[in-house]
Amino acid sequence: MSNSREEILHTIRKGLKGASSEETLEERNFVSEAQEIEKLINELQSDLKTQFITELNNVNTTVIEAKNGINIKDSLFNLIKEKELKSFSIWESKFLKELNIKNELKDAGLKLITAKNKNRIATSEIGITEVNYAIADTGTLVLLTNKSQPRSVSLLPPIHLAIVRPENLIRNIRDLFVILKSKLGEGEDITSCMTFITGPSRTADIELNLTLGVHGPKELYVII
Amino acid sequence: MGFEEVRFEKDSDKAIQNKPLQKALVNVTDRFRSARNKASSEVPGWEELRSNVREIKKNTIENLDKYLTLLEENVIKSGGRVHWAKDADEASQIIVNIANERNVKSVVKSKSMATEEIDLNSSFESAGIKVVETDLGEYIIQLAGEHPSHIIAPAIHKTKDDISKLFSEKLGIPHYENPEELTKVAREKLRSEFLNADMGVSGANFAVAETGTIVVVENEGNARLTTTVPKIHVALVGIEKLIPRYEDLSMFLTILARSATGQKSSTYVSFITGPKKPSDIEGPEEFHLVLLDNGRSGVLASEETRESLYCIRCGACLNNCPVYRHVGGHSYGSVYSGPIGAIITPQLMGIDKAAELPFASSLCGACHDVCPVKIDFPKVLLTLRKRIVKSRKLSVKNTKDIIEKLGIKFWRFTVLNNSIYKITNKLLYYLQTPWKESNGKLKSLPYPFSRWTDQRDFPSVAKRTFRDRWKERRGQMG
Repeated sequence: MSNSREEILHTIRKGLKGASSEETLEERNFVSEAQEIEKLINELQSDLKTQFITELNNVNTTVIEAKNGINIKDSLFNLIKEKELKSFSIWESKFLKELNIKNELKDAGLKLITAKNKNRIATSEIGITEVNYAIADTGTLVLLTNKSQPRSVSLLPPIHLAIVRPENLIRNIRDLFVILKSKLGEGEDITSCMTFITGPSRTADIELNLTLGVHGPKELYVII
Repeated sequence: MGFEEVRFEKDSDKAIQNKPLQKALVNVTDRFRSARNKASSEVPGWEELRSNVREIKKNTIENLDKYLTLLEENVIKSGGRVHWAKDADEASQIIVNIANERNVKSVVKSKSMATEEIDLNSSFESAGIKVVETDLGEYIIQLAGEHPSHIIAPAIHKTKDDISKLFSEKLGIPHYENPEELTKVAREKLRSEFLNADMGVSGANFAVAETGTIVVVENEGNARLTTTVPKIHVALVGIEKLIPRYEDLSMFLTILARSATGQKSSTYVSFITGPKKPSDIEGPEEFHLVLLDNGRSGVLASEETRESLYCIRCGACLNNCPVYRHVGGHSYGSVYSGPIGAIITPQLMGIDKAAELPFASSLCGACHDVCPVKIDFPKVLLTLRKRIVKSRKLSVKNTKDIIEKLGIKFWRFTVLNNSIYKITNKLLYYLQTPWKESNGKLKSLPYPFSRWTDQRDFPSVAKRTFRDRWKERRGQMG
């Protein structure tokens, strides 16, 4: 096996001969770039929100606007009532904990299904998450995996509901990678899995007919 | 399927006679083409973006050894393992061994050209391991025992009715008519496969050297399931899929989705760095990265064709190729079809085994115009043609070639001398009479000219030469 490694590297070096120029990954100051982006974004927040909502509407996502925490919970309860949902899974992240959604849903008689046994999340009817970033110009939700943010909550249940706060909004994917690089540069550990979500699961594999919910959630709701 | 025998002339003939396929090809290529054109026109500085990603790819390929070892270092740092496979057999063996050592009984797979290239499924099957394709298109193809025909839409050659029949036959369900119902059936079947699988195998669209991250782009969510649910995740990645920096992804992802399907962003993009962290509640416990060479390192040796390795597999060249639009993916006898297949297959499998492919192009350059990394297809095709002709010269055994050569010599002789040209023209004008059709075309000439007229008409020889007519016209115009 290590033989193949040497063989492959040898063939590459032989093939490239003089071509491989000395190239090192250049240093960019991502921390200061990220600070600048944050300043810019703060000024743009309401524009970004409008753009984000337009893009979400383009990718079959239902957008609900909420003014405060109580509003968020009202919208959530309405949805649960309307869909007659009986079970849920939820991230244990700070903001969601502050909102106390988990306990209120349990009090309302819904069954909580946790990621401790990942296959059981497949039996949950709705997965509730927040987002780490929201990319305005593509309508993309960015979710980072960590111990309180398991990946299958946004994947296995047929409905995914994500809560986006205005401070999550960024302009584009370029902003995202500058911010991520600045965090890595400051010593933050890279997540085992970052996920971009742009609309519900879709396929066009049968005669190019658009069909939603082939593997991931069929319905995506975003509360802003 | 890996690389099968290339029989372009024969297979393309069959494809052209296949009416449903012809309709499907027009539909898929038209749809993707107009979506791409719209999506690319919405990005300010699209051309600059193309130049930038090409530059990054060029630099990566020209420093491939360094970036590969950097990638290896970072995957290991994140808790993953790295395997190097010099060819298809070794790659299959590595993956099957990983499965056997861990007593894996069933495997789920997300869409990956690299696993098709090494024909991984048959290796699993002969090892007695169940393997299920989970991309809907690939699932359909697997049930039918066929091969993908388009990089992005693998089952595009199958109609709704084909699929309805196939599902009811293979899955024992009633005939469902609409795609929605068929998709629902597949979801249920495949969901239970995911939950019971011991191992997930994916490919990757990109591998980032400086972080050890692999990136998987998709719309269905099956790749997310493949890389999340089973305990073991194996990613098979061609060594050319590398990009140096994390932030390079912003340009590559912007250009990939738009070039492939015309989406601003694909539905799901997963950025996977190693196995689950000890603190994560879920995710695979093991992550294996298998780096696949299978002829790629050999391509580097030619400066003229090296850029074939810049490809990011978006499929835009297929959708814009007038040849692909008529002959479909299966004619190329390889997992890689269309213009990219015509240049990459001969270089990976050996030029003598796929000598027809570089000629399966009109050199119109539509592929070059849309390629996100600006691969100069016409240039590479011509270089490959030259190589093929040269290698044939060394072994002149082909009578067809000798006749063609004599024909071209004769042509050269006549066109270089005006009076000989005139006489020949007259002679041919009368000689052609028995074969001339009422529309003025020559439809079926005797051998050796039948080699031309078997496939297309030849215009008949005019009574007078262009030169004579030109003179006369000039005279009339005074």
